[in-house]
Amino acid sequence: MNRILTWRGHGWIALALRLYLGGVFLVACWHKILYPATFALDVATYQILPLGLVNLQAVVLPWVELAAGLMLVVGLRTRAAALLVNGMMVMFIVALAVALGRGLDMGCGCFASEGGDDPISWRTLVRDGTWLAMGLYVQFLDRRPLGLDRLLTRNAP
Amino acid sequence: MVRDAAIVVAASAVIALVVNAVRPGGLPLVAKEPYRILVPCPEPGGEIVPLAPADVRWGQATDLVIDARTAAEAAAWAAPGARIVPFDFLDPVSHEVVADLVATRSDRVVVYGDGGRPDSGEEMARELSGHGVRHVHFVPGGVAAVRTHLGTGEGAP
Repeated sequence: MNRILTWRGHGWIALALRLYLGGVFLVACWHKILYPATFALDVATYQILPLGLVNLQAVVLPWVELAAGLMLVVGLRTRAAALLVNGMMVMFIVALAVALGRGLDMGCGCFASEGGDDPISWRTLVRDGTWLAMGLYVQFLDRRPLGLDRLLTRNAP
Repeated sequence: MVRDAAIVVAASAVIALVVNAVRPGGLPLVAKEPYRILVPCPEPGGEIVPLAPADVRWGQATDLVIDARTAAEAAAWAAPGARIVPFDFLDPVSHEVVADLVATRSDRVVVYGDGGRPDSGEEMARELSGHGVRHVHFVPGGVAAVRTHLGTGEGAP
């Protein structure tokens, strides 16, 4: 078991997963940061948050996505970034499951969702579940992340 | 790791709030009015099987035939023995109507409509099936096909 956990290949697999997941989050946050009102409508459409929290979520969440995405890509505080990504993925999965359970016919709001593109479905849920699995891999198996974390550790006095 | 994640969230939130405050058209942090959400209501829909007019047991208790057209159209002509249940595309079939149909204990429910696009008969059949009514069929071509088969107007409703 210990051998599996300490296998050197994890770092390279995790690097690929980090670049992919980080890229996904950077792409996802871009439209939301540029058009917070559109994203607020997407958040409201899920009908989960109370009205008083919809705008706050729409303003803050994309910046957390940006930070987590950047950190994953450059390998800075990688496991903390993975923890953030996983927390957000759990939140998205719960929201999607609730919306699907209610039978809502709506756009995901995950990326640029203008024009009702990207409708939610069980496939969206599977996709998010896959991303969550990738994030968990990075969080728990990437012990010495390749990137700034390793550089900073190496250069530390 | 958790502490790092919390710091990132806090820093991201501060940046997000500052950017939102200084950008033109920033969102109010608390929405003043509820969002006008346009999500289509979920409609029940189930499996339906097309049935040619020649395969319908007209006038027999084993087949419950339903005319789904408007009351005025059905008053002008309806298939012998057909039950007139006008279908409204914007209004779901009521539970009372469904219970009434189920109580007939017919082997099959055969719906014909106006034969348009969409066909009111097909849509009603799908909705009945979605409500749990079993062995629901529709007549492709609607009333025109029925009249042609019964020899009462050569397809002219």
